Amino acid sequence: MKGTDSSHEGTSFTRRDFIKSVGIGGGLVLFGQFGVNAAAWALSGDPVLKMVLVDYTKCTGCRTCETACSARNRPVSINGRDLPGLGNPRFANIRVHSFNPDVDVPNVCAMCADTPCVNTCPVKPDPKTGRRALYRDQATHAITNDPGRCLGCRSCAKACAAQRRGVITPNPTTGKPERMCTLCGGDPQCVKRCPFGALSYVEVRRDRKFYGLGPEKIAAELAKGWYGTAEFGGMK
Amino acid sequence: MMSGKPGYHGVILNIDLSTGKSEKVAIPPEDLARFVGGQGLGMKILWDRLKKPGVNPLSPENPLIFMPGPFSGLPVPSSSRTCVVTKSPITSPVESDYPHASTVSYSNMGGFFGPEIRFAGYDGLVITGKASELSYVVIDDDKVEIREGKRFKGMRTDAFDKVFLDALGDRRFKTVYIGPAGEKLVPYSSILHTAGRAAGRGGMGCIMGSKNLKAIAVKGSGQPGVADHKRFLAALEKARSALFGSAYAKSWAEQGTARAIVANSNAGTEAVRNYREGTFLEADKIGGDAARRDVWVKDIACYCCPLACKKSGTTKGKYGGIVHDGPEYETGVMLGSNLLISDMPGLLKAITTLDDLGLDQISTGNVIGFLMEAYEKGLIDRSFLDGIDLKWGSVDATLAMIEKIAAKDGVGALAAEGVRALSWHIGKGSEKFAIQVKGLELAAHNIQANQPRGLSYVTASRGACHMSGDNIAMQNRRAMLDSTGMCFFPTFEPALEEPMLSLLSAITGHEYDKAEFEKTGERIFNLEKLFNYREGFRRADDRLPDRFFEDAFTIGPKKGSVLDREQFDAMLTQYYKDRGWDSETTKPGKAKLQELGLDSI
Ligand code: SF4
Ligand code: SF4
Ligand code: SF4
Ligand code: SF4
Repeated sequence: MKGTDSSHEGTSFTRRDFIKSVGIGGGLVLFGQFGVNAAAWALSGDPVLKMVLVDYTKCTGCRTCETACSARNRPVSINGRDLPGLGNPRFANIRVHSFNPDVDVPNVCAMCADTPCVNTCPVKPDPKTGRRALYRDQATHAITNDPGRCLGCRSCAKACAAQRRGVITPNPTTGKPERMCTLCGGDPQCVKRCPFGALSYVEVRRDRKFYGLGPEKIAAELAKGWYGTAEFGGMK
Repeated sequence: MMSGKPGYHGVILNIDLSTGKSEKVAIPPEDLARFVGGQGLGMKILWDRLKKPGVNPLSPENPLIFMPGPFSGLPVPSSSRTCVVTKSPITSPVESDYPHASTVSYSNMGGFFGPEIRFAGYDGLVITGKASELSYVVIDDDKVEIREGKRFKGMRTDAFDKVFLDALGDRRFKTVYIGPAGEKLVPYSSILHTAGRAAGRGGMGCIMGSKNLKAIAVKGSGQPGVADHKRFLAALEKARSALFGSAYAKSWAEQGTARAIVANSNAGTEAVRNYREGTFLEADKIGGDAARRDVWVKDIACYCCPLACKKSGTTKGKYGGIVHDGPEYETGVMLGSNLLISDMPGLLKAITTLDDLGLDQISTGNVIGFLMEAYEKGLIDRSFLDGIDLKWGSVDATLAMIEKIAAKDGVGALAAEGVRALSWHIGKGSEKFAIQVKGLELAAHNIQANQPRGLSYVTASRGACHMSGDNIAMQNRRAMLDSTGMCFFPTFEPALEEPMLSLLSAITGHEYDKAEFEKTGERIFNLEKLFNYREGFRRADDRLPDRFFEDAFTIGPKKGSVLDREQFDAMLTQYYKDRGWDSETTKPGKAKLQELGLDSI
């Protein structure tokens, strides 16, 4: 597959295949209970939500996605000049967690339908827009911060870490939330640049039940399935 | 963030473990243009630091240098490499005025360490001195700390990797470390990264051990800039499309270097039975197809690499329960074909154990092959081997010997000195099959039917090196490639060539066409030669063991092949002439040094 557009490649596998391929059984659900098949959503008539979906079996841990994300969303600035296309991967909205034994888990906002991050925000909804300091932007679908109203209380980051993927990183000085996926305005760079087709840009139901797990939990499941071990380093 | 030349930070981080002081040191801008980074700039730093020949490689004075290149830290495909440079603890010349004479040593590893050094704001790390107790270094951008690490003493690398990351409390740190073998100063011990990538060759772990340094952790929040932003982005696009999704990249992802385990056996160019043969009749049992079927579950890539040549998996049975990567070509052949081991789980157990102890897979496989042959021939007996029944193909005996070497226990203390020292000790004509050049063991490519590779082994700057290049043009090119931070493997794709040169020019602001690229490589190779020459290395040191001229293959497609001594010598004479070196002494000629701007050095 060329690195230009893989957005349609990943949409065809079913949730069952997915769960089988990562060796996860029992009642553990990583994705919407309705699966991720785009056609099904289109038929359902629900308004769709798009997200970046990861196929952990294809990820090699190369971190190209991180560099692509930083390049778009946090370009490096040198001597006061922004250099789009360049950026330190640590500031990316997608983060590849690598473990010993070898398991790589790209972690990106799961676009949770029930947004525990938003729900916990103490800032009262604006009477006109209905927005708290954290909200889902209706056009881009991205979880978005309104820095003008944000208190920097870090509650959203804590909620995401405790209940979902832990993608929100509070700014070290202001405490305001960062690293929520922007979907790059509808042209996800990470998906476009992944050399191994591990990422896809898919439509999912807005009303699905969603259980995005943290990278440690996913890694442990993958390692059990692949290597028969859950003995890990660097879990903290 | 940038100083001096674009594409570089312009500084190295100097850490003196004796005084506990660290400081940023400016790199002369002309050195950046002339020696680039990686192996080249590392060599220049070594040259500047060691002003006299004969410095004891294990002394605090010998610097251990970790070098990314100008590609490192930028999203250039496969820009993952770190070159470790130091003065070799393994090699020595036939004759020299200096008791501690040795060659330059360099070892190149993939992963994430080099890019992270650049994120932290440095073009390289130079470690000198010696800590008073076992220590580790933590680098977080400008913050540099030397911490006491006695509790890690003797720890194997896999366990250490896990515990160390937990102790650092942040998985973003990229780490390198040594195992028990490095702490014990086994000359051919390695430096590990991610518990499965290694700067394996040339004794890097030994030098790190001699400094009482268990590990280095680094992370950074910066990024190097580029000289020509527009050109960089355009060339990056081209480099990506040359590789991403290409048949070439896919073939690497499928089997990595392990494909060559069967292919080279079929070609008669594999190290088999301590280099007695070039073909292993059971190669298919340990080859890429078998590994894909029985072992591998995951493909692994280094930083920004679209090839993913590394594979990890697990095994069952007597040697089961291993979780590790491999076999790769070098590891699979040196511990497999070369020892006649065809049991895949057993082979993986040996590979895993070597990484865990921090031993070079190539030298160790070579040493054990030598001992197996000496044992078979009755030149040594079982008591010499501390009771180990070191028969061809025995996994258990191999594992026992590996542990002995890492601990320098009994026969292991002698075996740890390498095949040349062993053959001197054993005598009885065993030098003939002690497969080394200048004291460094040969790698997994056999040469009775591959004379050009023989040239690579004898003329390489660090002792027998299979990666140096089979002719002058290749040697120059690779010296340069290993100075950029890019991996060697993607560069066989012809479509990458033009974008790669364009990227390098766009980053550094120095125009590199093919000629300039190779000329710079030639300068680097010649500086290495100057270093070695100063130490006392001469033509007599560029010498292959007699086996290759006497023992013709008895099996395989290249049956009957053997090197011709006169022909080899003539090739070598021609090589020195073409290099512009004296063909008697190998001294680099004035004209050549002038041409390369090395005459005043
Ligand atoms: S670019 Fe793709 S393969 Fe590489 S780390 Fe990201 S998701 Fe994994
Ligand atoms: S992953 Fe975290 S940030 Fe994203 S929607 Fe869920 S809770 Fe919010
Ligand atoms: S940090 Fe800001 S956005 Fe997050 S919960 Fe607090 S006020 Fe809301
Ligand atoms: S979609 Fe865009 S913002 Fe989201 S992780 Fe990918 S590159 Fe980053």
